Amino acid sequence: MTGAAIAIALVQLVLFVFLSPLLIGVIRQVRARLEGRAGAGIWQPWRDVRKLLTKDPVRAADSSWMLAAGPVTLLVSSLLLVALLPLVGTLPLPLIPSDLFVIVSVMLIGVVALALVGLDAGTAFGGMGSSRHMTVAALVEPTLLLAVYALSIPAGTSTLSLIVETRLANPAVIISPVSLLAMVALAIAIMAETSRLPVDNPSTHLELTMLHEAMVLEASGRDLAWLELGSWLKLAALLGLLSNLIVPWGVLTEFSPLGLLVGVVTVTVKILALGVVLSVGEVFLAKARLFRVPELLAGSFALALLAVTASYLVA
Amino acid sequence: MTALEAGMLGQVLLLALAVTGALLVGTRWRSRVIGTLCALLAAAGIVTGAIALFGGEGSLTIPTALPMDPLVLSPDRLGGLVMMVVSAVGVLASLFGIGSARVASASRTSWVSMAVFLFGMQLVPAATDIVSFLLFWEIMTLGSTALLLAHHATRGTVASAIVWYSAMSQLSFFFVLAGFAVLAAATGGTGFSGLATVDPASWQASLAFVLLLLGFGGKAELVPLHVWVPRVLPEAPGHVAAAMSGAMVNIGVYGALLVCVRLLPNGPAWWGVLLMALGGLSALYGILQASVASNLKVLLAYSTTENMGLVFLGLGASVLLRADDATAAADAALVAALLLMVSHAAFKATLFLGAGAIARSTGEMNLDRLGGLGSRMPWTAATFGAAAMGAAALPVTSGFVAEWMLLQALIHGSRVDGEVVSVTASVAMPLAVAVIALTAGLALLTFVKAYGIAFLARPRSPKATQAREVPVIMRVSLVLGALGVIALGLVPGPLAVAIASAVGPAFAPDVRTVGLAGVDARGIDAVLDPTTFVVLAALLLVPVLIALFASARRHPTRTSPLPWAGGGSRLRPRMQYTATSYAEPLVRVFDDVLRPSRDVEVTHVGESRYLVERVHVEQSVSDVIETRFYRPMLNAAQRFGILARRAQNGSIHRYLSYSFVALLSVLIVVSL
Amino acid sequence: MFDTIYPQLIGLCTGALLLTSALMVWRHSLLASIRLLSVQGFALAALVAVIGVEEGETEVIIVSVLVLLVKGIGLPWVLAHETQATTRTDEAPRLNPTAGLLTVALLTILSYVVASRLLAGDSSVSAHAAPIGLAMVLIGFLLLVTRRQAGSQLIGFLVLDNGIATVAFLTSGGVPLFLELGISLDVLLVVVILYVFAGRMRNKFGNTDIDQLRKLHD
Repeated sequence: MTGAAIAIALVQLVLFVFLSPLLIGVIRQVRARLEGRAGAGIWQPWRDVRKLLTKDPVRAADSSWMLAAGPVTLLVSSLLLVALLPLVGTLPLPLIPSDLFVIVSVMLIGVVALALVGLDAGTAFGGMGSSRHMTVAALVEPTLLLAVYALSIPAGTSTLSLIVETRLANPAVIISPVSLLAMVALAIAIMAETSRLPVDNPSTHLELTMLHEAMVLEASGRDLAWLELGSWLKLAALLGLLSNLIVPWGVLTEFSPLGLLVGVVTVTVKILALGVVLSVGEVFLAKARLFRVPELLAGSFALALLAVTASYLVA
Repeated sequence: MTALEAGMLGQVLLLALAVTGALLVGTRWRSRVIGTLCALLAAAGIVTGAIALFGGEGSLTIPTALPMDPLVLSPDRLGGLVMMVVSAVGVLASLFGIGSARVASASRTSWVSMAVFLFGMQLVPAATDIVSFLLFWEIMTLGSTALLLAHHATRGTVASAIVWYSAMSQLSFFFVLAGFAVLAAATGGTGFSGLATVDPASWQASLAFVLLLLGFGGKAELVPLHVWVPRVLPEAPGHVAAAMSGAMVNIGVYGALLVCVRLLPNGPAWWGVLLMALGGLSALYGILQASVASNLKVLLAYSTTENMGLVFLGLGASVLLRADDATAAADAALVAALLLMVSHAAFKATLFLGAGAIARSTGEMNLDRLGGLGSRMPWTAATFGAAAMGAAALPVTSGFVAEWMLLQALIHGSRVDGEVVSVTASVAMPLAVAVIALTAGLALLTFVKAYGIAFLARPRSPKATQAREVPVIMRVSLVLGALGVIALGLVPGPLAVAIASAVGPAFAPDVRTVGLAGVDARGIDAVLDPTTFVVLAALLLVPVLIALFASARRHPTRTSPLPWAGGGSRLRPRMQYTATSYAEPLVRVFDDVLRPSRDVEVTHVGESRYLVERVHVEQSVSDVIETRFYRPMLNAAQRFGILARRAQNGSIHRYLSYSFVALLSVLIVVSL
Repeated sequence: MFDTIYPQLIGLCTGALLLTSALMVWRHSLLASIRLLSVQGFALAALVAVIGVEEGETEVIIVSVLVLLVKGIGLPWVLAHETQATTRTDEAPRLNPTAGLLTVALLTILSYVVASRLLAGDSSVSAHAAPIGLAMVLIGFLLLVTRRQAGSQLIGFLVLDNGIATVAFLTSGGVPLFLELGISLDVLLVVVILYVFAGRMRNKFGNTDIDQLRKLHD
């Protein structure tokens, strides 16, 4: 049991380190095609990481060890996320189940590392990005935890692997209003958490509109590579979670080599499909004004609260 | 004589030594000698507390001539736990004081009151009757007031702060006294064991509960009784602030625990709702004010209000759930509240000591003028960082485990075996989760701001540029505190088991240790082993580090004199984000709650409308509760005072006529 | 088969009703609100149909068709037609959307608490969901109180009406056909009259901001 869980965690890690740049490549490529551009091809993020690793990082004289340690912390927190979430299989690691509160805290370590990297070099843009990033993170947290609360009600536990198993065993739960409201709230929260539209524009070139990009302006070489890879892994892991909650079929619950293969293939397909949906959606969305973002987050919070309330009204 | 009695006698002896020592030893050696004695006094408290926590027996009787029960000091397990926590903070503060006390805070008065303050605080949890409880409570309050007075008594702000502190302390004392008086009148005794016989459903119990809650809430810095905190703590030197905010607030929590666990257990559900509302309000308001504060000590002071709010929220949840028969979740919430209290003591003491270190090195508490201290004060930076992680509830610090447990208790609280336990619980639990989540999110921002602005980036003022690391003894204290924060987070299992034994025998939370010191709350199916978590993180770090070193060998780091800054090469330190600008988006989002006042003054160059010479921006966020709640009350009191003065104009004839009228009315009343 | 998915269907329909009401508070634009109102009409009709099938009463199914025609298609069409012809401006409500949404959540909780006291004995699936109707009534009132334009206030009125209908269907399995017919026609008439009035006023005074209509003119 424990061995199988560790094996699954390893498979997830290897798969996602390979898959997450591909996911970004697909998202960018689909978007480029829809906008009538040729696009750089789906392997471009891979080439970017390789290029960044073979460059000398340049650091400002006033920056501290944080500029080197922050990116590594972000990467490790994303890797932890991948290892803990039920992506390929739902077998939990012993003593640290994929408890959603723990998962959220792991994610927050990455958020904090990134915010500190943004502050470290002592530039106006870095500070600005960091400040906005933390404001959004602070406002997202209630939505995230309440959505988790709503999802945990049918399963009676906040352990994600058990939630996914409950949904697999009883698909009616998936389309219950509680679950639907919670999923919408969770999706908005995840978009905000991973700096996607309409909260942040991942492909902006204007510093004043940046959130995520403004914080990584000072990073270069391998520092930047870790930051990018860490953020991509986080996006892939969270999309994987979302897709497993919406479509739990294919996920591995009893260890077998064939099941493992099925799990790997289905999760890959699910994530890439969700990525395509995401990029199509983003074509039609504009970035919201910064001070409209709290409105969006309050909306998602209200949805999450309604989900919890609804759980007492309709089974 | 048992070990427990010896421990308590030892504390009395060390207090006497410290007080006489402080009066005799000269300026040169005073801080070192008395600081060490204070640390020993606190260490004696730790030992005594530990003995009591692990079931040691014994009592110290102080005979009195008054017609009442003798004063008996005999800490039970819960008292032992609190005594231990309070004393541990006392050790840190005393050690830090040895290095940091200068001029006024190294005076005789200051050290005497420090010793008295620590002594009073350590013995409040030992009291077993009302009189001794109130006696040590007042010793603690007086000690802290004198401690504040000794420091810069000449400065105007300090004087006003002390007036607020004394007034609020006396208000707390009055509420506690009134609450105990109600209970004593109902039972006819002053011993706690006798008071526990009051029926929690009676109106006396409810009245006493509300009064005691107000009294203890004032000491625990809850809204709306927190107004003294942001005034007093910034004026106190680092080690005093640490002792007050890290240790004294726990006495407030102890009082509330005494009421909810010992004196009036199994109270009605509305007590729980009241506690939760008060706690939730304090948590949100405290963290909101903390997140927009630019003064480091004000920020930390408001954060205390937040943490104590969470503790009371947990306590309230346990009362409410117990009334609804969701016992497993109720007990988990109680354990979580106590875990939070213990971890708060560790990280808040360290944070205040870190702030004290910064104040000593730079003389500056305004974050807007700090920066770049990380490379100048590496020890302070590392320890402050660890404690800030605790305050932001990040894994794997003690704060994280406590908040995790509280959330687990709450989500398991509204249902037992799939059935809704009660309407109240099903409304209160999700709202409480939302409050905790928002609080946690804002706490994250607050401490990223505090750490990032103070220790990272470039110095924003010459004082920050010239900062130096503090002396060794202060570093020792900081490191001990930071180690405490991390160690408590790594061993939640034994800690939770100790807490569970402390709240017994009335309550028996079902927790045990799993794995390597992990915690398993069996009643609510929640397992967490931080050590395994750290091991996993370390394993994941290995390949990353290998890749890092492989890349670093071929591609060494280059350093450029200036940051790139999107191409802006003339970047000066003043162009960085400051603490005020960091919180700006938040101020806008919570505009309606915070009501900031903002002044923007633009000076133009000559006659030009477009060229700007300088822009002056001033923003201040005042305490809404103070301006909306206390000011009107004070004004009314003042008007009443003016009216009353007319009646007292000093004329002897008028006073005689008052007496005459009084005599007449008494006679008339008697004759009726 | 139908019995097993019946609670799910009730849940979905009432969930849609609640969600559309909440979204109406969120969106300021009148046109968006009208579209949501139409969706809400469809959800209400579906709810009535589900209850009808469960109880096996043809009359209730006919009522559901009626609800669909009036509330899902008729009213929104009238409103949309009028709105597109005259104005497209978004309004600034008195309550900002953030506070509005939080109020919606609190109102829902309130109606849950109130209804759990009122309907304590009734444990059927549909009665369990009745607080959602109550919440819609409250949200309708919230819209009435906080919106400035006459058109948006009308939306609030209609949400309120839908809420009353929801409560009626969920707690008593519906109202007689003729009564429902009468109410629906009444509402339709009220809306048309109000809309004609609003249009006339707009032509005369330039806008229908209620805040500016304090005095009666002759």
